[in-house]
Amino acid sequence: MLNINYTFHWNQAFQALPQMIDGALITLQIAVLSMIIGIAIGVPLALAKQSSIAPLRWFANVWIEVARNTPALFQVYMIYFGIPAVLQLVAGLFGIDFRALGINIFYLDSYWAVLVGIAFNNAGYLAETFRGGLRAVPATQTRAARSLGFGAFDAFRLIVLPQMFRAVFHPMTNQMVWAILMTSVGIFVGLNIDLTGVTQELNARTFRTFEFFALAAAIYYVIAKIVTGGARLIAWRLFRY
Amino acid sequence: MKFPALIAAASVTLSLAAATPAVADKLDDIIASGVLRCAVTLDFPPMGSRDDNNEPVGFDVDTCNDLAAALGVTAEIVETPFPDRIPALISGRADVGVASTSDTLERAKTIGFSIPYFAFNNVVLTREDTGIESYEDLAGMNLGSVAGVFEAIALEEDFNEWDAGGSFRTFQSQADVFLALQQGQIDATVVTGTVAAATINEGNFQGFTIAGEAPYLVDYVGLIALRQEYGLLNYLNLFVHQQIRTGRYEELFETWVGGGAEAPDLSVPGVYY
Amino acid sequence: MLGTSVTWGDITFMMTGAGLTLAITFWAMLGGTLLGIVFGLIRSHSPWYVNYPMGAVLDVLRSVPLLIQFILFNSFQSIAGWGMNPFVVGCVVLAAYTSAFCTEIVRGGIQAVPVTTRRAARSLGMNWAQDMAYIVLPLGTRVMLPSWIGLTLGVMKDTALVYAIGVIELLRSSQIIITRKPHEALLILAIAGLIYFIVSFPVSRLGAHLEKKWREND
Repeated sequence: MLNINYTFHWNQAFQALPQMIDGALITLQIAVLSMIIGIAIGVPLALAKQSSIAPLRWFANVWIEVARNTPALFQVYMIYFGIPAVLQLVAGLFGIDFRALGINIFYLDSYWAVLVGIAFNNAGYLAETFRGGLRAVPATQTRAARSLGFGAFDAFRLIVLPQMFRAVFHPMTNQMVWAILMTSVGIFVGLNIDLTGVTQELNARTFRTFEFFALAAAIYYVIAKIVTGGARLIAWRLFRY
Repeated sequence: MKFPALIAAASVTLSLAAATPAVADKLDDIIASGVLRCAVTLDFPPMGSRDDNNEPVGFDVDTCNDLAAALGVTAEIVETPFPDRIPALISGRADVGVASTSDTLERAKTIGFSIPYFAFNNVVLTREDTGIESYEDLAGMNLGSVAGVFEAIALEEDFNEWDAGGSFRTFQSQADVFLALQQGQIDATVVTGTVAAATINEGNFQGFTIAGEAPYLVDYVGLIALRQEYGLLNYLNLFVHQQIRTGRYEELFETWVGGGAEAPDLSVPGVYY
Repeated sequence: MLGTSVTWGDITFMMTGAGLTLAITFWAMLGGTLLGIVFGLIRSHSPWYVNYPMGAVLDVLRSVPLLIQFILFNSFQSIAGWGMNPFVVGCVVLAAYTSAFCTEIVRGGIQAVPVTTRRAARSLGMNWAQDMAYIVLPLGTRVMLPSWIGLTLGVMKDTALVYAIGVIELLRSSQIIITRKPHEALLILAIAGLIYFIVSFPVSRLGAHLEKKWREND
């Protein structure tokens, strides 16, 4: 039963649309950067996990499992509020008081905390995706490349990697959409310039929660659709053969 | 005390049975149900917080108890983080908001305010090592506040006007702002004087210090209820008036803020409310 | 405890929060799975004019941040005067969100059973229900269960977001304690992370194990 004692003020929300679009661009920026970093770290992590050197393997395992088994919100919160505490603790152990020296090594802006947190999460998930992708490339491909005179690194870079990316393109697209949606947790660590942050501030000022967040939801949906649509287009261009 | 309340409750119930339910307003509903549910923010000491047993305490909690006693009903505290105050009211999860809500004209488009039941002056809160000594020193520093509150809006306006670098961030709760300040992600914040004093007195955050007043208008806060519940809003106005008239306001101020300070004047010279 | 000011009372408080995290996960998975099975069956067996719009609606749930869905639904049910408490709101939103993913898992499971196998079943005289119960369910489960376990873990982690609507779950309870003991922030956060990890990790291992085992049998 609807017993509504509330009148919608959509006008207010639409007036704020330009601000929210600016926020959406920041959201997209963080997501794209975190994906680039995530891929750059994810590939070595996937290799490290299969490495014969034990410490490398452990390192990769810890990263991957922590990224996959704790909430993204927790990871971002930990990076923003936890890492400065670790630095403070370590500095304290050495009896260094950076603050007295006027150096603030603890300063970590919300923007970077969110970027680092989501990149950390992306890297963990992508590493597992890449591991699956690498398995999909037959070992004979590497052998064939090596016998054609490719060096080990070139064989990996020019023969294995392209085929792996083809195999994991779809899961990577999903991860990209995830990254966009994950940026919304930034509001818990003070981020007030991304789409959710801007929306939350407008909401706190006006108390028009439903109107502003409905508009934000619509914008997120459009971004997600543009990304998946774009990815389909790219996949069609790249993997036609 | 109990007897008239019972009669009131009984008569309301009777009239409910006779008339259509739509006639009973919120005030009737509260009296009939015997429970007053107050939306209170519990990370905003000394107005609202939790004691060592995680039970709600504070100026706002006591104000809610007084209001319930006046209505002859029992009080129930509904914890609402700042952003959840309005949804809680609109949905009927709470009847009244006793949550230090600044009475801005923007918000009054959505929710109904009583006359001010408290007023805050804002001060600069910083760490001893930042070298900040007054509000003017904030230009170019990393600043933060709670999203959308009175002092956050004022600080952000000045931050944009200074245009001297640094950053301005907003958090979802007062606790997160203090944590960020303590850890160094921000160098200073502007908070209400009472909250700043209570936080320093509690001693949880070492090295916090007040660096002068912020040159803002006085931040008056009202009790809130649904905009169209005139009966309830009238009652709330009279309740606030009585709290001050009877000296209960100063008593609560002494209990929760104290420290020799005077309870803030809630009237504005030269104007009717 | 451990020479810190974090008391057993605080740990108990966090454990209560962890209990709420698990309770929300349970209700969301129960509701989401049931809905997902129904939606998955409908989507697999209906003509395009039912299937496509349904897919589009469920897709919205997967393309909008869960945090926004919590806030939006909470504010909507406020406006509608339903007066649900935040715990119920959390369960309802998370169940709807889960159902969108579960629908795809069920659909994938049904599609993974070769059409020829099902035709064979029908030609043996089985009716639709028997075909579903004795052929599709056992074969499809092998495909579905690992994904479903993954989904459960995802939902468990996503419960952290109900923080936004005021449910005192694990992360929020940690934050409340940090408010009182800011100098212990790191320890408290580490304990919270450890609790998530202890619950999540064994289940994720089980999922990986099942997936591996069943793949080998194929």
